[in-house]
Amino acid sequence: MLALARSLSRNRRLLGDFVVRDLRGRYIGSSMGFFWSVVYPFLNLFIYMFVFGLVLKVRFSDEVNKGQVALWMLAGITVWAAFGETISRSTNTLVENQNLIQKVVFPSEILPSFLCISSLINMCIGLPIVILGVLVFVNFPNLLGDPLPLAPLTDPAKEMSMPPLGLGWSLLALPLLMALQAIFTVGIGYFLAALNLFLRDVYHLMGVFVTVWMFATPIFYPPQKVVMEGYGWILAVNPMHWLISCYREVLIFGAWPDWLLLAKFAAIGVVLLFLGSRFFLWQKPQFPDLL
Amino acid sequence: MSTLTKNSREGSAETSAGTAIFAQDLSKAYRIYDKPIHRLYELVLPGKKLHREFWAVRNVYLDIARGSTVGIIGENGAGKSSLLKLLTGITQPTTGSVKVQGRVASLLELGAGFHPEFSGRDNIKLNCSVLGMSDAEIAERYPKIVEFSELGDFIDRPVKTYSSGMYVRLGFSVAASVDPDILLIDEALSVGDEHFRGKCINRLNDFRDQGKTIIFVSHDMGAVKSMCQWVVLMDKGEILEQGTAEKVADEYLKRAKARGNERMSAINRGTSAYPRWCSGEIEVTDVDMLGGDGQPAHAFTTGEAFTVRLRWKAHQDTKEPVFGLGLYRSDGTYVNGSNHEWRDKPIHLRDVKAGESGEVEMSAGALQLLQGQYYLTTFVYEHAKASPTAIDHREHVHTFEVIDPRRLQHGMLFLNSRWTVRRRKDGAVTSEESPS
Repeated sequence: MLALARSLSRNRRLLGDFVVRDLRGRYIGSSMGFFWSVVYPFLNLFIYMFVFGLVLKVRFSDEVNKGQVALWMLAGITVWAAFGETISRSTNTLVENQNLIQKVVFPSEILPSFLCISSLINMCIGLPIVILGVLVFVNFPNLLGDPLPLAPLTDPAKEMSMPPLGLGWSLLALPLLMALQAIFTVGIGYFLAALNLFLRDVYHLMGVFVTVWMFATPIFYPPQKVVMEGYGWILAVNPMHWLISCYREVLIFGAWPDWLLLAKFAAIGVVLLFLGSRFFLWQKPQFPDLL
Repeated sequence: MSTLTKNSREGSAETSAGTAIFAQDLSKAYRIYDKPIHRLYELVLPGKKLHREFWAVRNVYLDIARGSTVGIIGENGAGKSSLLKLLTGITQPTTGSVKVQGRVASLLELGAGFHPEFSGRDNIKLNCSVLGMSDAEIAERYPKIVEFSELGDFIDRPVKTYSSGMYVRLGFSVAASVDPDILLIDEALSVGDEHFRGKCINRLNDFRDQGKTIIFVSHDMGAVKSMCQWVVLMDKGEILEQGTAEKVADEYLKRAKARGNERMSAINRGTSAYPRWCSGEIEVTDVDMLGGDGQPAHAFTTGEAFTVRLRWKAHQDTKEPVFGLGLYRSDGTYVNGSNHEWRDKPIHLRDVKAGESGEVEMSAGALQLLQGQYYLTTFVYEHAKASPTAIDHREHVHTFEVIDPRRLQHGMLFLNSRWTVRRRKDGAVTSEESPS
């Protein structure tokens, strides 16, 4: 892990150039440019609101209204998008850049890192929108809309309530959350990037895996529902659920994150980064031969 | 795209001060797996061997003096590029070691890593930083790179709109701007137009004049001979011979001819598909091409004695058959055609009876064709009629290769030329002549 840090700091200029290139390359040639970074989460939000709210009638409680649910989902979508994108792109990044790896003495360890940084920066464009939404709804509560769900509750005792929206000093915890997210994400990214060279099927598997993981994480439905149905263990072993609930505390409820949960997440992240980067650097001399 | 490896990669204790690259017992084996999953099995089950080895480079010793220009030559698949990757440090040797003193830049592939959506300008900057240049260096060299590339307005357009020549020009411009001590080039110069190629060669000459080491990889003996004092001949991953360009050229030529013969006879096995039309009174049964040693061959050197021999057999009576030959370049250009009748002193062959047989030989003397691939067509025509009709016309009987080791002249045809240069200076005329 230290070797990785040293190399990244030695190649920080190149890393920076790759991040800039990637951010510009995302929407280069498209007329709306960076506006897409804003549009994407919203489009996703509408899709999932429609599917989960209107079609499947996933319920929160009588007090929770559409606006709250929308922001709650949007926070989750934004964070997940950065994570999911990084790990699926990392898997293929060595193959995509094989020209550099095979023809140039190239520090390939910057590849998963630049993807992670790039998508986190992209996420930073989405987060203010969540915050803006919270500000709007806090000041104009009548805009929040009808309570969701539309169907009557069967068992009021199991209602899934939600604290009121709010913003506060806890936003200061955002950089910490993002740093931990980066460590966790890039750790997985390094492992998958190297593994994909041994078995290219990994890349195809990742497409499915990321989707399954996304739906296993309470992004579009209340976590209490999972517990209620007896699948609480899924939440207990899903670090992304921990991370996203911490983000939600900070972003839309104005509360400090659950520090214990965050510490657990950090510990797992560090272990993953340690193992992932070890594996990556161990196999790195072989990369030109494996491609 | 090129690469810079800063500083010396390994300790220089054993190498003398005048050595730029020192390779000792250098070998590289690539692992070949029958199934991709076997690679993974090997990773998780140590000690299990599921691969075969392919030795791309084997037991190479090299001691390249600083300031020299060395050519590495060999057929495709001889291990030249693999060796270059080892010397650059892109791949790790399986055995042995490489010691390099100084900054290495390698031009393995021009423009590798260009992003098609970005403009030439953006790609120059990114490419430079991949090469390890600092901001200050990029700022300083950037205008020169743009100028050298001669891309004009295209420099601001996305690279995806470039022609392949422009792409390479941009790539070389960036690569040429790095200031290495040792430059490794992999046939990168064989692209671009004549004008740009000239600029590239000038740049290389500058490098040489500055006392830098150049290693040049090619399968083109002509290019290597014009550039390099010292040539290393590789085959099947091993160094066959190394020495002065003249010394190695002979050995190379011998192999090239042998290989040319092999390749051509492989091609010729499949030539029955070419058209043959005939009325059949006379059949050409065999066509042999004979080289300087009188043996049938499919590869010849320019200037070598060249003879074509036909064997024929008459099945029916024929009044006035005439045998002819046509030589074509591989692209279909008609190079030469002749027969034994249309000559100052014609040979007439009249009233051939069924059952007769014989030979016809055309000897071209010294072969005047330059390097390239050619093919041979044979004709037997009945000339007794007002306009001759085909008795046995065979297109594309043999494909053959001409190798021109000296490369003194270019094009298709060797002219037995003679040059005179006259010079007037202060009223006196001097004249120098180069006889044919």
